Amino acid sequence: MTPVFAEVNVEAVVIFGLVVAITLGITYWASKRVRSATDFWAAGRGISGPQNGFAIAGDYMSAASFLGIAGLIFLYGFDGFLYSVGFLVAFLTVLFLLAERMRNAGKFTIADVLSFRLRERPARVAAATGTLAVAAFYLIAQMVGAGALIQALVGIDYNLAILLTGVFMLVYVVFGGMIATTWVQIIKAVMLMAGAIGLSILVMNRVGWNPVELFNRAEAQAGGGSFSLAPGALYTNPVDTVSLGLALVLGTAGLPHILMRFFTVPDAKAARSSVLWAVILIGAFYIMTTALGVGARAFLGEAGVEAAGAGANLAAPNLAQFLGGGAGTFGGDALLAIIAAIAFATILAVVAGLVISASGAVAHDLWSNVVRKGADSEHEEVLVARIAAVAIGAISIAIAIGGGKDLNVSFMVGLAFAVAASANFPALVLALGWRRFNTVGAVTGVAVGTFSSIFLVLISPKVWPGPDSEGGLLPFYDLANPGIVSIPLGFLACWAGTMLSREHGNERSFHELYVRSETGLGAEAAPAASPGPQRAGTRVPTSA
Amino acid sequence: MAVPAGGQVRIDWEAVERAPEFQELVRRRRRFVAPATAFFLVWYLGFIVLAGYAPGFMGESIYEGFTVGYLIALTQFVMVWWLAAWYIRRSDRELDPLRAAAAAQAQRDVDRQRADHAARFSAGEEAGR
Repeated sequence: MTPVFAEVNVEAVVIFGLVVAITLGITYWASKRVRSATDFWAAGRGISGPQNGFAIAGDYMSAASFLGIAGLIFLYGFDGFLYSVGFLVAFLTVLFLLAERMRNAGKFTIADVLSFRLRERPARVAAATGTLAVAAFYLIAQMVGAGALIQALVGIDYNLAILLTGVFMLVYVVFGGMIATTWVQIIKAVMLMAGAIGLSILVMNRVGWNPVELFNRAEAQAGGGSFSLAPGALYTNPVDTVSLGLALVLGTAGLPHILMRFFTVPDAKAARSSVLWAVILIGAFYIMTTALGVGARAFLGEAGVEAAGAGANLAAPNLAQFLGGGAGTFGGDALLAIIAAIAFATILAVVAGLVISASGAVAHDLWSNVVRKGADSEHEEVLVARIAAVAIGAISIAIAIGGGKDLNVSFMVGLAFAVAASANFPALVLALGWRRFNTVGAVTGVAVGTFSSIFLVLISPKVWPGPDSEGGLLPFYDLANPGIVSIPLGFLACWAGTMLSREHGNERSFHELYVRSETGLGAEAAPAASPGPQRAGTRVPTSA
Repeated sequence: MAVPAGGQVRIDWEAVERAPEFQELVRRRRRFVAPATAFFLVWYLGFIVLAGYAPGFMGESIYEGFTVGYLIALTQFVMVWWLAAWYIRRSDRELDPLRAAAAAQAQRDVDRQRADHAARFSAGEEAGR
């Protein structure tokens, strides 16, 4: 067995310790405030718009989008940038189509919105399936990535790194619920922005604050490698690129951990303003990521490719070390340690968000409303949520450790976005806007969207017959990203299921959902408007 | 005297839906959201399609190594900020008053039901005396 603490980066461990101490302190504070299910899943609906904007940014920007995109830009130049553009534009879909209406119509989960007007149990099972599929793929990819990254950055053994990540994630969620998760995400967003701003300043300072100079230096350092300021270095199949773009732009609006954040604010106005805060932060961050990726190319050059490791994830940390004065210097090691700690905080915030959204699907949707048919107490619901979080966390830790760091996770985040775009997104948008939509349509849509995404990824060249092989199962199908096929299939299945079934009679609840989602009439109230323990204090009594 | 709680008080959702304020709200929101959504999807997917099918054009240098591709990519960022800010301004100024009007109408309706209910309740009390 390899020694657990080989060449541990002591500075990084100290900063890690600090991050952990602060977040655990917050969790302790939050744990005393988690009494009801609304506290556990929706932070008592007491998060303000700007706070939620930071938390969305913290929930959304994974280590993959921080270190991964900087690495891709370092390796391939322009093509690495395509990802970040898609990740940002996606928030317009969220803002225009879902943010406010989700807040008005729902309570804790995607299923709440579907079951409002559809038959409760099948709708909840379908929505929970979509949520759990997305959360599972995303979570496993994050955990495996976290283990490999922390091992490379800090020198802690892969298995121990995953175990630590998993345990802290569970402590935040189980004891502090959404309140702790939110603040972990806010702290992470602040750290991430501070780190990106600091590094960008150092990069721009070296080129005399002239971006053109930076681009020129980077191009001069291409060194016969893959780096290019023109497209085509990474994505060679245009159809595949469009497919990826579609999945990013529509998939974000189907990510359960992002949509869940809109239930934590007092009203729809705060929900929409939180999106503005989020896009300001996320957009600024991705522009800075470009400076980091191009800067890494300019200063580390082709010679730095090998040291940057798999996917060039270490390009940004290595750049930080270089900017601080190089390896072995105090400044270099300190900056490296800070970036490592930011990466760690980044991972924790994302996985905590994923686990709490998955716990909502299991406890609120499947247990409370499907198994117990709403007969359980709120105390039981929160207890089951905590048990579910522990189970989901334990499974993801076991898969990440059992599969090892060589587990092929490169397709999993893409798959999560594909399922979100092909299953969750069509069902949600149609439930909110299409009068005729019914339960059969939702169930077939989610099923077809989920399984076609998984099937198409399984037969894609990335997976079939082995990892990253050439060809795939079918000679005429060679797309790595299934979105361009699976998203239309998801919508088509929603439509076909609806038209083929004779189910009617949801008209009345559609009127209510429609008016409620557009106006906020009868929406779940903020804490100030409903003092006392009642679950759904509303300004105007609803028909219930 | 407290009005006894009863299941009789409910929002008439269909009436709210038929109300001109609500219709106006939905019409105005759609009039913004539909073209804005079409615009950003076309602008973004156009960018991706150009990157895929016209790498030469996207790689053309505008000014000393700053390429057409980067310029279009930067316009995406500006577009997101601008559309988001525009939508929120418009929502605050135009849509929220319509929402408040629709809510007020529903509230009046509920108050009227409550009053009817209270009247019927006291009438019942009198009849029982």
